[in-house]
Amino acid sequence: MFSTVTIDWYIILSVTLFTIGAMGVLLRRNAIIVFMSVEMMLNSANLLFVAFARQLGDLDGQVLTFFVITVAAAEVAVGLALIVTIFRTKHSISIDEINSLKG
Amino acid sequence: MNAFQLAPFLLIFPAIGVLFNGLVGRRFVEADAKSGEKWSGWFASTMAILAFIVAAMLFFSLRSNEFHAEAVKMFDWFNIPSANFYIPWTIQVDTLSVAMMLVVTGVGSLIHIYAIGYMHGDPDFSRFFAYLNLFLFFMLILVSGSTYLMLFVGWEGVGLCSYLLIGFWFDRIDEQGKAMNADAGRKAFIANRVGDLAMILAMILLFWAFKSLEFGQVFGSAIEMFEKGEGVHLFGMEMSIGAVTTAVTALFLMGAAGKSAQIPLYVWLPDAMAGPTPVSALIHAATMVTSGIYLMVRSNVLLEIARESGNLVFGLVSSPDLIALTGALTALVAGLIAFTQFDIKKVLAYSTVSQLGFMVAAAGMGAYVAAMFHLIAHAFFKALLFLSAGSVIHGMEHGHHHVHEHDHGDDLHGVPEGDKHHEVEKFDPQDMRTMGGLRDKMPTTYVVYMIGALALSGIVPLAGFWSKDEILAHGSQNNQVVYWMLVVAAFFTAFYMGRQLKMVFFDKPRHAAAEHASESSPLMTRPLIALATLSVLGGLLNLPFLSESIKEANHGHPGGIWLGLEGWLEHSVQAFHLSEEGLIHLPHTPVVLSLPVAGASTVLAVLALALAFFVVYGKRPKTADERDPLQSTPIWWFSILPFEWFYMHTFVPGFKWLARWSADTIDWAFWHDFVHNNLIRDVFRGFANFASDVLDANGVDGLVNGSGRFTRYVGSIIRKTQSGYARNYALGVFLGTVILLAYFIFSY
Repeated sequence: MFSTVTIDWYIILSVTLFTIGAMGVLLRRNAIIVFMSVEMMLNSANLLFVAFARQLGDLDGQVLTFFVITVAAAEVAVGLALIVTIFRTKHSISIDEINSLKG
Repeated sequence: MNAFQLAPFLLIFPAIGVLFNGLVGRRFVEADAKSGEKWSGWFASTMAILAFIVAAMLFFSLRSNEFHAEAVKMFDWFNIPSANFYIPWTIQVDTLSVAMMLVVTGVGSLIHIYAIGYMHGDPDFSRFFAYLNLFLFFMLILVSGSTYLMLFVGWEGVGLCSYLLIGFWFDRIDEQGKAMNADAGRKAFIANRVGDLAMILAMILLFWAFKSLEFGQVFGSAIEMFEKGEGVHLFGMEMSIGAVTTAVTALFLMGAAGKSAQIPLYVWLPDAMAGPTPVSALIHAATMVTSGIYLMVRSNVLLEIARESGNLVFGLVSSPDLIALTGALTALVAGLIAFTQFDIKKVLAYSTVSQLGFMVAAAGMGAYVAAMFHLIAHAFFKALLFLSAGSVIHGMEHGHHHVHEHDHGDDLHGVPEGDKHHEVEKFDPQDMRTMGGLRDKMPTTYVVYMIGALALSGIVPLAGFWSKDEILAHGSQNNQVVYWMLVVAAFFTAFYMGRQLKMVFFDKPRHAAAEHASESSPLMTRPLIALATLSVLGGLLNLPFLSESIKEANHGHPGGIWLGLEGWLEHSVQAFHLSEEGLIHLPHTPVVLSLPVAGASTVLAVLALALAFFVVYGKRPKTADERDPLQSTPIWWFSILPFEWFYMHTFVPGFKWLARWSADTIDWAFWHDFVHNNLIRDVFRGFANFASDVLDANGVDGLVNGSGRFTRYVGSIIRKTQSGYARNYALGVFLGTVILLAYFIFSY
């Protein structure tokens, strides 16, 4: 049964997850949701790393996944701190209201 | 022995002295006046003595070199191949230049030593010695140069030193508030400029005619062209060689008139006595003023060619005759003016002018050896006279101080009552009327002064007798006019020297200062004794019978240890050889004692001395205020006539007018108004306006502002992409990624 699940499936799943994440980043207004969408894109990449590592019998992809998870954790820490601070000043976490860098 | 390669040291030693005294001498003197003066003075004197030793070595080298001239090249000076102009800096060592070197350094050394004593206590002690060494340096360039250009460098250099030393006490102001010392220096400088202009013209003419300024080459080609009867092309004109040499030698006469104080430019020399006395002795009696005579003797070939060619100056006289007449006239007129002077140094100054006239006359008559002989003898006894006069002045000043310290009263016994109030007035230690009776107060000075005066008057057997008689003997055979003028001038010489001796040393003191005068220090009297010895023995240089007998003993060939000036200079005066070859007819008189001439001149000299001593000044003057016996005679007119007047009324206004005209017209109207305002300022302003209004405003500003405007315009377009919404940026990142991916995927 396992052998019927080829690498193609993993790729399709990963791309789907990535697209959903990207759409989330581009379209949603809630900063938390955007944040979660970013996580989803990272994890879709992780999935693909692991899938290819398995496929090729090479551990490099698996190792890299840990790096990505680590970086993502750090990013979450910084990002959530930013969101909390923005909320305190603007009393909103809608990213449409954060446009002070408008040229 | 051959020491020719040492010749550069002749110039190096004095140069070292200049550097020492010019750079550090003052510190020595200021740190400790006593030892500092010793250092400064003796260093300079040592350098002069070392230069004398070098000159003496050159003398012996020439002797061992069979008197052949040697040129010692130091470096290339000018080298312009395209103009065929090559002048090396070369020291000419021949019998003539060595004779001059010995005189300059020998008399110079003695005067240096004397000056240590004379300048004692002067705040500018080291400056004086720096100038003195600088003078030696330039004078040695003048006499040792192998080209007219080098001679001219020395010529100008000694003129500069003369100016500096005449005006040595430039801050002294006389009663009228005039800076007379500085004025005297300027006068000397201006009078010399006139002569220097003639020198420059002569050199230009020489170079055009002969394509060289080297003595040997100039004379060589002049002789060659004269033999062949060739001419030279100048300014498209054909000029015979006789015309060229006549013009050149006439210009030389004018140059010599400036430097050697001949009519009409001699007016500067009496005023030059404003300088310190050692300077008067060294520069304005013994050496610098004789450079005109050196120039003539050096250019003997040109003079003789001019004489032989028959070309006349202004169609009147040949240029050598013009030289001889100028010299004789100067001897006569200056001798007359010397009668009327009261300043002890002014008498000697006019006497110098007169004696220089003798030398110039001798050179003009072709008696080159006699001219050099008188030059050397004169250097001895005139330096002696000046230095003794300095000693007298020193003694008088000393007496004056003495009187002031002990404040009159019994000190004034024997001096007329009328003199007491003189003490309050300004005292002139150089006025002979205030002297008298110094014979007992200053015995050494008296004896040496007597020797110098008798030598100058031409009393047997002192140096002046032999040298003056040689000139007179020559004149009596070759030029009667000049001869009689010189005989009268010689008579005058003896007369004014008799007058001076009487007024200074005999009778009773006419002033308290003379009463208390005292002898100078040994540092000053010892050089005087040396010079007195030279003045006595100077005649041995060219004794008439001696050189002839030696020539005979050596089978017509001069040689041995003692060969006389004639045999010595023979090797440098080329005209002698040309005369022997028959190319020219040098009016040559061998050195023989012409009894009628010598006897007559001796009798005249004794007569003149006696006349001055016993007749004219026999009983007078008794007081300082008494009129001079000559004051009521026409001779006195010479004190105001005619050349001083000429100088003051033509040269001075002319020079002032020229200076004012060039200041107003050339410098102010043309240079400042036209060139500065119109040419430089307006053109510059035009450029500046163009640059600021056109180039800067439109060009540079346009470029800078334009780029700014362009940037703003582009920015205003691009800023629209910056919405501030994070998702827009994210979209940009995604799109960028997609485009990059698409590029990488589809490019494979």
